[in-house]
Amino acid sequence: MAVFVLKRALLAVLTIFAVSVIAFLLVHSMKGDPGTVIAGLGATKGEIAAINDKVGWNDPLIVQYADWALHAIQGDFGLSLIDGRDIMGDLADRLPVTASLATGGTLLSAVLGIVLGVTAVVRGGIADKIVSGYAGLAAALPNFWIGIILVFVFAVVVPVFPATGYVPFDQSPELWFISLALPVLTLAIGGSGFIARQARASMYDALAQEHIRTLRATATPRWRILYIHALRFASLPIIASIALQFIALFGGSVVIEQLYSMPGIGVDLQAAVARYDAPVVLGVVVIATIVVVVVNLILEMATRFLDPKLRAS
Amino acid sequence: MTAPLTPTAPSAVRPQGGRPLARLVRRPPAVAGALWLAFIVIASLTAPLWLPYPTEQQDFSAVLAGPSPAHWLGTDELGRDLLSRIFAAGGGTLAASTIGAVVAMLVAVPLALIAASGGERVEGVINRVTEVMLAIPAFIIMLAVIGVVGTNMPIIMAIFGFLISSGMYRVFVGAAKSLQAQLYVDAASVDGIRPVGISLKHVLPGMLNTVMVQFALVFAVAIMLQAGLAFIGFGPPIPQPSWGGMIQAASQHVYDAPWMMVPTGIVLALTVLSANVVADALAATTDVPQLQIALREPKRRMRAGASTADTQAAAGEGLRVRALAVGSEAVTLVSDVSLDVRPGRVLGLVGESGCGKTLTALSLIGLLPPGIRPQAGEVLWNGHDLTRLSEREFMRIRGREIALISQEPMRALDPMFTVGYQLGGAIRRLQKVGRAAARAEAAALLGKVGIVDAPTVLRLYPHEISGGMAQRVAIALALAGRPRLLVADEPTTALDVTVQAEILDLLRSIIADTGMSMVLVTHDFGVVADICDDVVVMYAGEVVESGSVHSVLEGPQHPYAMALLAADPHAGVEAESQRLASIPGQVPQPKDWPDGCRFADRCRFSTEACRRPIALTPRRSAEGEVRCIRSAELTAAGVTWAAAPAGVEPERVRIEPERVGAAEAAQAPTRRAEPEEARL
Repeated sequence: MAVFVLKRALLAVLTIFAVSVIAFLLVHSMKGDPGTVIAGLGATKGEIAAINDKVGWNDPLIVQYADWALHAIQGDFGLSLIDGRDIMGDLADRLPVTASLATGGTLLSAVLGIVLGVTAVVRGGIADKIVSGYAGLAAALPNFWIGIILVFVFAVVVPVFPATGYVPFDQSPELWFISLALPVLTLAIGGSGFIARQARASMYDALAQEHIRTLRATATPRWRILYIHALRFASLPIIASIALQFIALFGGSVVIEQLYSMPGIGVDLQAAVARYDAPVVLGVVVIATIVVVVVNLILEMATRFLDPKLRAS
Repeated sequence: MTAPLTPTAPSAVRPQGGRPLARLVRRPPAVAGALWLAFIVIASLTAPLWLPYPTEQQDFSAVLAGPSPAHWLGTDELGRDLLSRIFAAGGGTLAASTIGAVVAMLVAVPLALIAASGGERVEGVINRVTEVMLAIPAFIIMLAVIGVVGTNMPIIMAIFGFLISSGMYRVFVGAAKSLQAQLYVDAASVDGIRPVGISLKHVLPGMLNTVMVQFALVFAVAIMLQAGLAFIGFGPPIPQPSWGGMIQAASQHVYDAPWMMVPTGIVLALTVLSANVVADALAATTDVPQLQIALREPKRRMRAGASTADTQAAAGEGLRVRALAVGSEAVTLVSDVSLDVRPGRVLGLVGESGCGKTLTALSLIGLLPPGIRPQAGEVLWNGHDLTRLSEREFMRIRGREIALISQEPMRALDPMFTVGYQLGGAIRRLQKVGRAAARAEAAALLGKVGIVDAPTVLRLYPHEISGGMAQRVAIALALAGRPRLLVADEPTTALDVTVQAEILDLLRSIIADTGMSMVLVTHDFGVVADICDDVVVMYAGEVVESGSVHSVLEGPQHPYAMALLAADPHAGVEAESQRLASIPGQVPQPKDWPDGCRFADRCRFSTEACRRPIALTPRRSAEGEVRCIRSAELTAAGVTWAAAPAGVEPERVRIEPERVGAAEAAQAPTRRAEPEEARL
């Protein structure tokens, strides 16, 4: 197990390194060079060249990357080209927003999805059809469209939740919760459909296993077969789908942040890309990759621990 | 995007029978989906020809309007016609999505083929790389890419196809590996066909269906992704319409013109939904897993009505099955099975695969698969008809009076729980004792089934013990409720030969110690000779011969029993010839059962008279019964089912009717009919 953890951790570090290199090359190929971006319209060629020289834009790429990486390892992602703010400090404020969204969305997706998927199998018939229909619709409707509908219903028709905005947790836990309600629900509708589909398939698979017959032959009560033995068997693929869901939500929350005007890293990235703010793009990509890779690693460990066949090895 | 960028793998790779098109047609939602896709593609491509308005034409008299005769789907904030803009946006969206899906396939399929044919090292490397790609936040990388290439959708979708290809690879590599492992692929490689040739000629065609499924799924995800990008401002340059951009514009007017977001949203959702249902239909398989438990608890009794037999409890102790028929609503799978097991006796249930042995055995403990139930006859246990019990009533019998031992011990145990949890749980339930007492009893039981280090084994998971030990644990589980009847379904078939003997010894000693009785399903006459007192031979869902082991093995009277014995290398009977016999043909499927003798088509002795329904009759000069109209004359004639040379179907033996009764005379033509080489 220790060797496995070490190997995976190494792979995770390599992943982050690879992504940082790719992202570095990407932002370097962006249309605007720092001089143009900073000096703005109407600047002379000389002014632009002077700025580019100052930030080292014309140095060899490897030197520039090494310089960036050395600072990044110490938590310094540089300054924004547009407004000169400290990128790391800014991201430290934004990360909790996106993390709240993605975590809340994943948790609610998981709870709803497992309940729906298991119910579809256990109840069968109409319930199964309803859940399948729900999962199909949830997969086909864009989450921003669902979000707009939710805003229309819960903020316009019956104004119980705010349509937009975010309140930090340390300011007011209660308002924080309320400000997250609609965005998290929006994310969870699509996500729960995806997880319900997986949970349904896994439960079916579990109930087709031969050991279910042994359990019945030893007079195991029905609820115990369904909710202890079958659900435990189905838990591994379900957890794997939850991990996928988190990755998708963390990256995909850009859209929801935009819709609900939440100051997360997604909207930051979107604005930075639109304005060719290279250091910000690089910083957000790397931070997001670190979060996703680490969460993925943790969930992979959890799956491994939950599988008796893999636990020992 | 809420849906992960990795479409999930369909749970099974094998497609349903028939061509993909035929499969689509059989599913109404898929037909509707395919029709909608065809419509949206054609309508979008021909849009310039029929659009009612130019996409940029503004009608300030109808800003933010709902549907009207002039604007069927209403207008946007600038008074532009929504219908025109939706279909004008369609072409680019669909084309870019196609590019994404094509790129994903072009990357993933070759990778899967290489991984499947290139050996472990190559596959390992590719697996690692794709794992890394799966763990990065694709949507965020896409945004960075947009910073470089701008909002050029075809290029962005091509990059998306590349990013998502690692997910596709995961799906394809499984399919490619299982195809690569097929015998005909092996044969091709022995024939000297180059690996690339094998991949393209034998593996790729088999993957076609999976590829089509994934293509449709990626296509759908790509549409969603483009809409998402356009929604956050990375769509085609304004004023060019895009679905995501139109929804974004609508979201600004959700307070004053909520209608505006409806048409675009529905067209987008229908398109994605259609691609998904088409993928579902293509992925649909016929091997729906056979569930081991009914999804809805059967409230009704298995068969209506009270047993008539309860009053005849005088019939005595033990198990008495009378004229049992088992089947689903559509087809009968077991018919007219009768057997008796008195206390302390072991009954062998013998026959080829598909003869209904296991169904018969499972009906004794009420564990028939969902949808299959007793149709007629009685299963009398100590005078009570088990076929009329409710599920709840059966719960009191299972484990406590009748217990089951399954064929595959490894699969019979729950892989997620320790031996101790499973065995202890069963003991607590069945003996109504506490946790500590159950723990002690579990260790004692394991000792009883010959496991030396019980405390250790109790802590182990099923995958940590050997097959033989697993079967001992399964036997201990069966004994947990101190039952009076063991139903053992091929308990030794899955085990190594040396272990088989040990398990049989164990079962024999348990029977001897406890005085319980056993029904043992097997296809092995050696096992029958070894452990059984009585035997019932089944063929195509019915009993063909029954009697004591000694009399049936020494003198089978049904041609099928003769054939089985002659074909069994382990049968402890004197072989007529040294060459093993074979039985031509196969057991007929239940739907093909004839009215007459079900063995007639494979029988060397069949005549026209065998085409009529045949009842069980007492065996000639022995106890037991046989279902053959010619058994008396055959037995009298002393014929056997001797071996024929391989590849030569034995001639039908015809005993002249006038010679019946004259055993010596009848024997002559029988012998003559056989090729001399048959008896070396």
